[in-house]
Amino acid sequence: MSFVDSIVAGLSLVGNAESFLALFVGVAIGVVAGAIPGLSATMAVALTLPFTFSMTPITGILLLLGVYKGGIFGGSIPAILIKTPGTPASSATILDGYPLAEKGQAGKALGMALWASCTADLISNLSLILFAGWLASFALSFGPPEFFALILFSLTIIAGVSGDSLLRGTLSAMLGLLLATIGLDLIYGTNRFTFGNPNMMGGLNFIAVLIGLFAIPEIIGMVWNPKAHDGKTRSLGDNWVKFQDYKDSFRSIVRGSFIGVFLGSIPGIGAAPAAFLSYSEARRKSKNKDNFGKGEIEGVAAAEAGNNGVAGATLIPLLALGIPGDVITAIILGAFMIHGLQPGPMMFIMNVDIIYGLFIGLIVSSVFLFFIGSIAIKGFKYVADIPRGVLFPGVMVLCVYGVYAVNNNLFDVGVMFAMGWVGFLMLRFNVPTAPFLIAFILGPLLEDNFRQSMLMSGSSPLILFRGPITWFFWGLTCITVVAIARAGIRATQKGLEA
Amino acid sequence: MQMKLGIGAMATAAFLLLIAIPFWVSSPSNVPNIVLSPLFWPNILAVLTGFTGAGLLFMSLRQPRAKQPVHSDVDDKLAAFSRLGVLAVIMGVTLYAMPRLGLVWTAMLVFASVAFLIRTNHPKTALICAVALPLFLYLFFAHVAGVAIPQGHYVRLP
Repeated sequence: MSFVDSIVAGLSLVGNAESFLALFVGVAIGVVAGAIPGLSATMAVALTLPFTFSMTPITGILLLLGVYKGGIFGGSIPAILIKTPGTPASSATILDGYPLAEKGQAGKALGMALWASCTADLISNLSLILFAGWLASFALSFGPPEFFALILFSLTIIAGVSGDSLLRGTLSAMLGLLLATIGLDLIYGTNRFTFGNPNMMGGLNFIAVLIGLFAIPEIIGMVWNPKAHDGKTRSLGDNWVKFQDYKDSFRSIVRGSFIGVFLGSIPGIGAAPAAFLSYSEARRKSKNKDNFGKGEIEGVAAAEAGNNGVAGATLIPLLALGIPGDVITAIILGAFMIHGLQPGPMMFIMNVDIIYGLFIGLIVSSVFLFFIGSIAIKGFKYVADIPRGVLFPGVMVLCVYGVYAVNNNLFDVGVMFAMGWVGFLMLRFNVPTAPFLIAFILGPLLEDNFRQSMLMSGSSPLILFRGPITWFFWGLTCITVVAIARAGIRATQKGLEA
Repeated sequence: MQMKLGIGAMATAAFLLLIAIPFWVSSPSNVPNIVLSPLFWPNILAVLTGFTGAGLLFMSLRQPRAKQPVHSDVDDKLAAFSRLGVLAVIMGVTLYAMPRLGLVWTAMLVFASVAFLIRTNHPKTALICAVALPLFLYLFFAHVAGVAIPQGHYVRLP
């Protein structure tokens, strides 16, 4: 199928009001959820997932992608106005966004955040379209040993960079992998940790684990400390962003977008490091470097470009290899699976219409983000004023309905509550939850590819090092472990000296 | 905190290796090679969890105690733990009540009790939402998504 044929096939799938409406509603939900401190883009995507069950696959996934895109931008609104990032990715936006708000230029900062976000989003989406197909065609030559090495590398980097310690990340990933062993054995069909309960034979439900891990701990956290998430909203001021400001910051926006694309395409890095790296590069190269941190509009542009540049790029490993780059793409992977689709190289052959439909939808989402973001900036006061004492009980009810709806099974609701407490404990002990969830998703794939490799080779482990692709991923894994361990040792030594 | 985590991880590994895997993972007797056995993967993961725990323990012994982060985000810890206890009871009651009262009525009670637990400043709004939100979700899931929402033994909805 030629490129034009693929575009036409994609258009025929998404060229209807239902798809664009889903995308529009998704972006709107994402912006609102991202703008509410305490909610996050991750929670918004997780809570929206059950509503997609009754939709066609493309409509449901476009809705979720809209929530993702909107949520990342939405997080910048409270970051600028109340110094509370709506999502971790917006932490860098505070550095110059809040000082601008204190000077009465919140409207200007938010306007620049929106323009930079939309530009970076567009660049990120175009990169996805360019690189995902190429990577997928390369991945077609992968066999079980190559996939095993790739998944192991992804888990290593996710465990290493998700928290502040490689060991905590590794512990989190181990627990996720252990939880994934529950159910019937993949080859022999014997019971593993099922305790004779038929509900556990198919393994724990992904949505129950996901919502339990990412939404319920926030509710438990609210019960633990009901005074959290209080903040003072600032007015927008009369000073709005001008095209000249955008032009002056354009270099930083483009540089930040490419930093976001590069870091986003590596599984596990995420948006927050991209935003900080983009910000520090902009400060290093700027004529106004002394003004950074005191209310420099270019700083807001760079931070937002960095974190939004990641949004499209995280879909590159997801669509091309079936490896989620972060938690949100892990949820989107779950959505694909629920709708009977398996992202990965074969999807570019079997479901090319869905792939190109998604590409078209993503490009359109940048336009929707611009319009909805403009309205959201002015309407933030109403969003920020939603009382937490009403919002969080509502989230709890949504979780119960959403998880029950997956399989019409009360057991799943119990799993969600149990995972909520696990997630809360992980939060208290500073154990990152992202490696847990991604390991839980990739665990069966890792084990399956390992055992298939062993079957292929008559149990010889040498097959795991059979060619340049496996060497490449083993090399990357070793480099990652050494680099993260060295950084950890240096940090400990600094602590001992101080 | 790191020390507690390390000890917890090592205890989990010991529990898995000594009790959980031998008793709750079954394997056929004719497995040709250990690496293909259903026991192999859980055992490997348990051992790696133990090593990670040992690593955490080792790092905690090297770390100066005063530098370890201390969480003190609530003024009254006893009250905070009591609230967590009540929330756990609410969750347990939810699971018990759902098949008996039905999801909609249970969800209304859950909403109201959680709002009360976090001492909402807007009790009237919370009460209205406690009734409206579960009903709206029932309409969507039962009549749009076609999910069989449990109705309970007492009051059934159309």
